[in-house]
Amino acid sequence: MKKNCIAMLLAGGQGSRLYALTQKVAKPSVPFGGKYRIIDFPLSNCANSGIDTVGVLTQYRPLQLNSYIGNGQPWDLDVADGGVYILPPYQSAGEKGSWFSGTANAIYQNISFIETYNPENVLILSGDHIYKMDYSDMLREHVEREAACTISVLQVSMEEATRFGIMNLGEDGYVNQFEEKPKQPKSDLASMGIYIFNWKKLREYLIADENDPKSSKDFGKNIIPNMLAAGEKLWPYRFKGYWRDVGTITSLWDANMDMLSPDLINLYDPAWPIGSRSPICPPHYAGEKSEIIHSIVTEGCEVDGHVENSVLSPNVVIGKGAVVNYSVLMPGAVVENGAVVEYAIVGENTVVHSGAHVGAPPDGTDAWGVATCGPDIEIRSGASVPAGAMIYTGEEV
Amino acid sequence: MKNFHGIIFAYSAAPELRELVGARTAASLPFCGRYRLIDFALSSMRNAGVLDVGIIMQRDYQSLLDHIGSGKAWDMSRRSGGLRMLPPFGLPEYHTGNYTGTIEALNAVSTYIRDIPQKYLVLLLGNMCANIDLVPIMRQHSRSGVEITAICADHDPDGSHHRYVLGEDGFVKQILFDRTEGEGLPSLEGYIINKDTLLRMMDGCKSHNQYSFHKDAVAAFLARGGKMATYVHPGYAAAIRTVEAYYKASMDMLKTEYRRQMFPADRPVRTKVHEEVSTYYGETAVSRNSLVADNCKIEGSIENCIIFSGARIEKGAKLRNCIVMRGGIVGENTELDCVIADKFCSFSPGTVLTGNARLPMVVPKGVSI
Repeated sequence: MKKNCIAMLLAGGQGSRLYALTQKVAKPSVPFGGKYRIIDFPLSNCANSGIDTVGVLTQYRPLQLNSYIGNGQPWDLDVADGGVYILPPYQSAGEKGSWFSGTANAIYQNISFIETYNPENVLILSGDHIYKMDYSDMLREHVEREAACTISVLQVSMEEATRFGIMNLGEDGYVNQFEEKPKQPKSDLASMGIYIFNWKKLREYLIADENDPKSSKDFGKNIIPNMLAAGEKLWPYRFKGYWRDVGTITSLWDANMDMLSPDLINLYDPAWPIGSRSPICPPHYAGEKSEIIHSIVTEGCEVDGHVENSVLSPNVVIGKGAVVNYSVLMPGAVVENGAVVEYAIVGENTVVHSGAHVGAPPDGTDAWGVATCGPDIEIRSGASVPAGAMIYTGEEV
Repeated sequence: MKNFHGIIFAYSAAPELRELVGARTAASLPFCGRYRLIDFALSSMRNAGVLDVGIIMQRDYQSLLDHIGSGKAWDMSRRSGGLRMLPPFGLPEYHTGNYTGTIEALNAVSTYIRDIPQKYLVLLLGNMCANIDLVPIMRQHSRSGVEITAICADHDPDGSHHRYVLGEDGFVKQILFDRTEGEGLPSLEGYIINKDTLLRMMDGCKSHNQYSFHKDAVAAFLARGGKMATYVHPGYAAAIRTVEAYYKASMDMLKTEYRRQMFPADRPVRTKVHEEVSTYYGETAVSRNSLVADNCKIEGSIENCIIFSGARIEKGAKLRNCIVMRGGIVGENTELDCVIADKFCSFSPGTVLTGNARLPMVVPKGVSI
């Protein structure tokens, strides 16, 4: 069946800068903001934008991601003509088969999937951003501007611009130059890594790029510069609103803290629901001695201690006399009686035993950082995990 | 479980639930922050692998239909079999008045019952607040060769109930009606019954113009020497027929021991899922011994409360011993004690309302004060 636009979601990256949190799972399935996982945001945006066909390209540790996505029902993507497809690397007859060697190569290897829908346009998304965006608005501009590619851009400060891929515009408003992390930026429009391509054009460039042995087969490094060099029309779509890259421990922690300020991003907008596959558990219980201040708490939690400025995912347990401050507790994390967790991210089902101390408040030094414990770890009684530490699953602490 | 078919009775009008059943049946009464009472019967069946289930309803079932939908939340939306909603069939005599008894309710959907392919039926009340592990009961029933197994409580529940007195052989010898304590085991009005036996009871009662499952059918069954076993359900159970029972069962859920019995990890209670964010506690929030669902905003003080999703408790508000259902808005400096606020009630700032634990004040659905 022919579609106007389908989405391809790049979810294969390891997310190596999340270290222990992505030791066993792919970055898009890292829990976020209490009820969610990172991939809920692009998937919900697709469904809310009327894009009902999404290919999810997986490669690194896809097991949890596959079971989480399932048939796409939590995002209303369980439809008859389309839906959500998990697309792992595969082998063709007579070939050895190969892993995805870059973002462009991942799409190249799935040309036949895209062809089954024969779309006019293809939306390329990544699985590590927190934002709400109406892709149909971007698609409308893309069609109106007769662009070969439309790139979603965000206005950033000139200082920040040195950390992003920056789009420089010509007088006609189209992109005429792309600079990756420029030392002296000429513009403040940063690429958000969200592209809509005219499928016929993209197909040409993907095939050409695949045949270039020197290419690193990446959208930002190869496809976009090649299109610019060939004089294709590239249109910048200006996005306004909340958008965060959560690819590092600090940015993930920051974005979680943003969830305590609903003015930044309203996740309960009935017109723009963010779906998630969450376990069904009873309401959370706030015990006789509990103190919960400026925090979000999710169903299934049992809180008997002091919780402040923190994000509690489902089924988190905070024991009596425990103190949790400026921290993100992922599903099933346990902080036993009298333990202290501050400025920390505690992974799924990790237990901080009584009297243990994880993390420390900022001390003004550059060495300070958020303390991170991966999933399924036991922090033994009386142990101390210093600020900025990274504890991997399997480590003895 | 291939040999078992579930029937849930959700027709009960339960007038003593007063305003709480103004526009719903007792089975669709919101409970414990996010559930409806019928979720317990449905989840008990789902967790025992009983996925072919008929729900007997009669009137005011709009909220029940809305809640249950296709039965997907309980994996009962099946290609064949699965969940069936059973309003009265096209027999004119069943369209007037309320069902006078369970047998009448069953006879009103008798063609459905006759067509059930399974050998055994599991009967549960839609307004029974209990997470019953049916697997051992089903096993006991199919192995024992009795015609009926009655599910009984391990404690005397509040309010009047029927009791089963056992003979020396361990089978039921007598049923005692409308007791509060004493001899025998208290009935939870849940049964496993052979389909043939139930059909005989339905036909027998119909020809004698009788309606009651217990007073007519079970009494006659025992009188003719029918074999009936019991199974004691270890754990929490409360039939919800009055406002007081509803309030007490709700407050019971604040006790960790009861919560563990009602919401065990290996037999979860399933319910319709709403897309919702986590609950936010503000700088001035105080929460003590309370259950709070998702998507609430708590800035005031709550103590011994059950707060459903979407509720807003503003600064300075003080709630004690209250139940605030979905979407309730409690304004600044409002003081509520022993109040049950039905869905979408709002209390303007400074309101003071006080009920009593024995006689909680019910604010009907959608009322603004």
